[in-house]
This record gives sequence, structure tokens and C-alpha cells, in this order.
Amino acid sequence: MNKFFYPRLALVNLKKNGNTYIPYILTCIGSIIAFYTMVSIHSNKGLDQMPGSANLKIILFLGIIVIGIFAVIFLFYTNSFLIKRRKKELGLYSILGLEKKHIARVLFYETVFVTVISLSLGLIGGILIGKLLFLLLLNIVHFKSPLIFHIDYWGLLITTGVFLVIFGLTLLTNFLQVKLSNPIDLLKGGQHGEKEPKSSWIVTVIGLISLGAGYGIALSVKTPLEALMLFFVAVVFVIIGTYALFISGSITLLKQLKKNKRFYYQSRNFISVSGMIYRMKQNAVGLANICILSTMVLVTLSTTVSLYVGQEGMRRDFYPMDVSIIGEINNTDFAEVKAIVESEKEKLKIRSSDEISYDLARFRAFQEGSHFLKDMVEDESTDARYYERISNMILIPLDDYNRMTGEQKSLAENEMLIFSVGDNYGEATIVFGDQQYLITEQLEAIPMDFKKTQDMGQTYYLVVKDDAVMEGVYQTMKNDDDPQTTLHALMFNLDGDEDTLNTFSANLRTAITQSNPDIDIQNLYEALTELYFFFGGFLFLGVFLGSLFMMATVLIIYFKQISEGYEDSERFEIMEKVGMDKTEVKKTIGKQILMVFFLPLAGAIVHVAFAFPVITKMLAAFRLTNITLIFLCTLAGVLVYALVYTGVYLLTARSYYKMIH
Amino acid sequence: MRLLEVKNLKKIYTTRFGGNQVQALSNVSFSVEQGEYVAIMGESGSGKTTLLNILASLDKPTSGEVFLDGKNIVTIKDSEISAFRRDNLGFVFQDFNLLDTFSIQDNIFLPLVLAQKNYQEMNSRLGPLAKRLNIEEILKKFPYEVSGGQKQRAAVARALITQPKLVLADEPTGALDSKAAMNLLKIFSAINELGQTILMVTHSVAAASHANRVLFIKDGEIYNQIYRGSMSNDDMYQKISYTLSVLASGGEDCE
Repeated sequence: MNKFFYPRLALVNLKKNGNTYIPYILTCIGSIIAFYTMVSIHSNKGLDQMPGSANLKIILFLGIIVIGIFAVIFLFYTNSFLIKRRKKELGLYSILGLEKKHIARVLFYETVFVTVISLSLGLIGGILIGKLLFLLLLNIVHFKSPLIFHIDYWGLLITTGVFLVIFGLTLLTNFLQVKLSNPIDLLKGGQHGEKEPKSSWIVTVIGLISLGAGYGIALSVKTPLEALMLFFVAVVFVIIGTYALFISGSITLLKQLKKNKRFYYQSRNFISVSGMIYRMKQNAVGLANICILSTMVLVTLSTTVSLYVGQEGMRRDFYPMDVSIIGEINNTDFAEVKAIVESEKEKLKIRSSDEISYDLARFRAFQEGSHFLKDMVEDESTDARYYERISNMILIPLDDYNRMTGEQKSLAENEMLIFSVGDNYGEATIVFGDQQYLITEQLEAIPMDFKKTQDMGQTYYLVVKDDAVMEGVYQTMKNDDDPQTTLHALMFNLDGDEDTLNTFSANLRTAITQSNPDIDIQNLYEALTELYFFFGGFLFLGVFLGSLFMMATVLIIYFKQISEGYEDSERFEIMEKVGMDKTEVKKTIGKQILMVFFLPLAGAIVHVAFAFPVITKMLAAFRLTNITLIFLCTLAGVLVYALVYTGVYLLTARSYYKMIH
Repeated sequence: MRLLEVKNLKKIYTTRFGGNQVQALSNVSFSVEQGEYVAIMGESGSGKTTLLNILASLDKPTSGEVFLDGKNIVTIKDSEISAFRRDNLGFVFQDFNLLDTFSIQDNIFLPLVLAQKNYQEMNSRLGPLAKRLNIEEILKKFPYEVSGGQKQRAAVARALITQPKLVLADEPTGALDSKAAMNLLKIFSAINELGQTILMVTHSVAAASHANRVLFIKDGEIYNQIYRGSMSNDDMYQKISYTLSVLASGGEDCE
């Protein structure tokens, strides 16, 4: 025997099984590209020098782990599918006289070829696409200065190592398959007598309860904190419910339909129902996988896109004014601060607007109706609601208020005006310590802030008679780590292009910190950089993983159709002989594929619909409260996904029809 | 009354890329009377299956005509052919061709469901038929749960339930053991006695010896035929064997 016999046979096998092996190799290449890209971006030296890259690196590291796990699961899944399809062929080899060790050798060479092709193309692709994706990432996070993207040898090494192990393991499982079976079993391969699937009411009921529980949690979540805490519980319930209902619920339902004789013995239902029972038996797990993967893609895409698109709105929530400079009254020379601001503005020819300055005191208090307490009640701290009752209180003297607004209001010693950022303050009085104050007016607006949804505790602005009253309340209510005295604030907005404003912000911080390190500067433009990194990183990962999951979904569907095509062609041949029309055959096939195909998508869309309330609440934790925007992003995500999904359907349906005829 | 009339049937297969032509049937003419039980015999490649496929309206002849009950099935439109097949023909195949996704009962109902009969009628037709074919106990079972003989009897039930004018059987005993085969042939004889016309293609001398008449086909032509007359099955068997050996040795004539 020629020593090239086995490699040649392996090569011929791969070619002959091209319609399943080419997609498999493409999957491998895709996974390798994804993995290498993540590793190389994560370990890029330039990234370390960017401000705010720490969060991004954590997000990317998460990505590496997810892709790694995903690659293992998915490559094992596709490999087991391939080897199942080839059992007959392997059985034939052993009948023709190849021993098990010879078959093992053929399988070994096949794996070697697949590995070499996948790794070489995957790594080359990774180097090219990785660079492209890196530029995309920099663009998404609004990072301007060009970074050089080197080929990451360490990353190449890690990727090669990880995938060699994965391929080695798949080869090992294939060896086991061959070793454990005899030729006759191999020959019969997929065609053990098809047993009527058993449906279990218990599993169905468990599935319904579990899904109901998951949906119930999703719908009953009231606050962002609850959402963050309960989201994963709901996810687990929904996953259990999805599997149980796909596996058992579908068959229970179909069997009920079958029991209804008048419905079942109609030509259009007869073949569909019994066909679906067997299809669901074979595919329930695969379909449930697709459903869950699709839901993941949709949730990931819609949240990350919402966050990214919504950050413009969010940043105003965080920073009502572009720049705010706050210092302790008796420790800050505000004339000097103002001089620094003016000189920095002059240097870069920047104009400012809406400038305001005022005295204030700020502290946190625990709200119980109209009573605001200094001490938090510790034993309730397990309740998420507890945190929502911690309020931010900001006191402002009346003459500063009147000066800023141009109004002429007056207040007595025990009177206050209130502006609530969130819901209106419903009480007529407000109590600090043992002192009660009358609320004489609920203000509709205040110069330094505006109305917005408050999900994580209220913020109240209180206008008091004078500095003395303010000082009095502050000294009663302040905690140990609060500043000793009341504060003074200087706030203004900026005009100019973003680059100049970024420079100005950095310069201003340096200058002011030099003169007085205790001054607190909040600057929208500095914060933006960090936000872009944070949400941009999320978006990048979301789209990246979304595409990866989409690839997985597409492949699972493709393999499913191929394997069913072979079995169904026999079935429909018989039906044609017994007197079924060709057009009728085509209609029935179409109906069945359509159901199998779109059931997971429909499931995923329902999941997303129920997840929507939780998603909005969770995003509210990131201060994204624009529900219309989230809805539109989700809708766009669903539409794009459904479009891709339908495209895949049309493609595979075509090859399926070809197989039948 | 003449039920089936086949006139000058010719079928030529052309390979896909032109070139080779294979003549499967050169000139076949015969007829089958109402209530007859006819077996067609011949070696592999003699054109038996081609002939049966044409009679089953699964294939079209190159030239020639086939009349079933006075209607030319060669010229039936494609859109009507399935309904025609369903209403007039019953099929029994060598490998049963039962659908593994249906129970035995649903397999038998399949042609009626396709013809959109209601459930009561289907059920009333099934009762006596199942009794006669002795498959009452297995109606709820699935094809993989029953023996080959039972599967073939179920397939016979499926062929008969539409009350077809003609039952076409393609090697019905081919996949059965001798006992099951004998059992099936008895059933065929019994239903024939009730007036059912049967046309069977077979290799098996034992199977053919149950028929009223045996047609021999060789190289795409009817070569000879034997009428039972008053012969017993055993006599028939002897005569068929003799004819076959003459046929195989390429003899001129055997009468």
C-alpha cells in the first residue's frame, strides 16, 4: 500500500462531503478569526495608553472567554453532526476490509487537513480582519490619534494552541465513535426505526411554569436595581422553559391535534402534523438552541446599540451643565478660579454661556414620607427598594435663587421652595432632624438642572431663606465624610468644536488643580471620552458576538435542512406513488420547513418582547431612559435579524427542494 | 369486459447527455379482462419495471397507448394524474413503502385522506378490510414495530381501501420469507375471487403460479403467455418453470 494512501483517501473524503465540510471549515475559520481578533485587540500595547481603556479591556477579556467557550461548544456540535452523517460511509470502509485503526488513520488525516486549512486561513483572516475591526473599534470609541496595529505573535500562538486542543478533542470523540461501533451499526447509521416520540405532560407543565416564572419576573420588575439583580434569574427560567416546551410541549400539542380526528384526517393537516411530530423529536434541542441564540443576539444587539445611540441623551442627564466647579466656601478663592477659567478660555478663544454661580450645601438623606433621616436603617438593606429611598438633597439660599432667575420670591425662616428632579414631592412639609419646614411652592424649573426620570433615588433642590438656615440644616444632616462647610458653585456651558473643548477641559483641570487640589471639577467633555470607551466597547462586543451567534444560527439551520432533506426525499417519493400531487407535495414541504424555520425566530421575538421591560429598566441604571429610542433600536435589531434569517431560509430551502426532487 | 388494454407500447431511455439510447420496451401489446389475475414474468432488465411504471402512470411511454376502462392514461394531464392514480389504481411494492411517520392505520388511510374522504367513511371501509387481511391487532402500531408480512398486508390494505379498478403489485413477495409470501399470495387469490383485478410483476415462480395467466417478457417484448385453464397451482408451477428455462436457454418456442 502506498504511503500516501491514507492522506489521499482523507482528501477525497473531504471533497466528496464538501456540502457539509465546507460549511464546517468556514465555521472553524470564523471562530479562529473571532478569537484571534479579540486576543490581539486585548493585548494591543497602544490600548493601554488610552484614557479609560481599563473598562474596555475588561469588556474585551470577557469577549475572549465567551468566544472560547462558544468555539468549543459549536465546533463539537457541528463535528458530531458530520460524523453522524458519515457513519454509513465509515461502515462501508470496514466492510471493505479497513480495520478500525486504518479508519482512525483516515480520520486523523482528515482532521489534520481541516486543522491546517482552518488555522492558516483563519489566522491570515484574523490578521487582516483584526486590523479592520481594530480601526472600527477606535472609530466607535471616538479615539482620534492613529494607533499602529501590529501582528500579535503571542496572540497567534495562543489561538493556534487553543484551536489545536479543540480539534484534538473532536478527533478523539470521532475515534471513540468508531471504536464503540461495529460495521453493521455504522452502516445503518441514522436509520434506527423511528420511535413514536413520547410526550410528557410533566415536562410540558414544568416548561410552562418555568417560562411563566421567567416572563413574570421580567414583567414585575419595577426598578433598575431589581432588574440587574433578577435578570439572570429570569434568563435561567426562560432557558429552562424554552427547552422543555420545544422538547415536550411541541409534541404534546401535536399529539392533541392528532387526537382530534376531524382535524387530523384532512389532507392538509394529516401529513403536516405527523411529519412535524417526527421533526420536532429530532430537532427540538436544535430548535431550542436556535431560539436561545437568536434571543441572545437580539438582546445583545438592541441593548448595545441603544446604549451607544442613546449616550448623547444620557450625558445631559449626568451633566446638566458642561462644566461645574464646586469648592468649599471658606477654603476657595473663587475670584482666582474665575480668573483661571477666563484665561484658559482666552487661550483657546472659547466662548461660554449660561454662566451661574451660587452657594449650596449638599448631602444624602433617607426619605420616609416627609421625614429625611441622617441614619440609614441598616437591617432593610437587602431590599432593593431601600436604595431608592436615599435622596440627594441640595440646598440653595433664596437671594442666589432670585439673582439667577430674576424673580422676587420671599421666604420665612421655616419656609422652603422645592424642585424635584424626578417625581413631584407630594408632601406639604419637610422635616430635617426635629425641625419642620413648610413647602410654599413646588418649582417647575431651576437654572442648574432639569426634570428627568429618576429611577435610582430622588434628587431634590431646596431653596431656603438664607445662608444661616442652609448652614443650620447642613450641620444637622451632614455625614462624617461630607465637607465641613457649605459650598460655592460655578457652572457654565461651552461653545466650540469638540477637539478644542477637549483640550480646554484638560487644561482647565490642570490649572485649577494646581491652584487648589480640593476643588471638584465635573466636565462633560472629559466624561464623554470615558463614556465612549465604555459604551463603544460594549457596542463593539455586542456587534461582534451578535455576528458570531448569527453565524452559528445560520450553520445550525443549514446542517439541519441538509440532514432532513435526505430523509424526507424518500418519504415524499412514497406519497407521490400513493397519489399525492407534486404541487401538494411542494406545498406540504414548504409548510413544514416554514414552521420549523420560523418557530425559533417567533419564540425569540416573544422572549425579546417580554424581556423589553427588564431591558429598559437595566438601561435606566445606565441613565438611558428614552424608552422610544430603546424600542426603536430593538425593533431595528429584530427587523435586521429577521431579514438575515429569512435570507438564510430562502437559500437553504432551495437546496432542500433540490434534494427532494 | 376489457379493463386494461396496452397497445404497441415503446419506451426508449436516452442518457442525459444524448448519445446512448436504451430500448426498454420495443413493442408490447396485451389486454387484461375485468376480474383477471395476471402475472408478468421476466429476467432483470427485461422491461418489467418500465412496463409497470407506465401502467402506474408514473412514467410516460415513448409511443403507444394504455387504456384503463376505456380511458387513455398516456394523455391524462399532469395536474389530473395524481387524482387518477388515487381513484383507479392500488399499489403494492416490494419494499412496502409504508411511511414510518404514520401508524399502520394512518398509512392505510393515506390515499383516502388525500382524496378528502371523511373519517366515518374511512373507518367503515377499514373495518372489514382489516379483518379480511388479519391486521386488526396492529392498526395502532408503527411500521418498525411489525413483521415484514404484516407490513405487506398493511400495504395491500392501503391499495384496496380506495376500491381501485386495478391493483398493481411490484414483486410483492420479494422481501418476504416463504411463509409470509405464501400467506400473501393466498390473500391475493382471495381478493381476486371477490372480483378484484390484479396485475403482478414478479420473479418468483411460486408467486406467478397463483395467477390466472402469466405473461413472459423478454428484451422488451411479450414473449409468451400461459393460461391457467383448469390447471392446479402445482401444474402451473411446473409449466412456468419449464417456460422460464426455455426462455433462459434462448429457445424458439415452447408450446
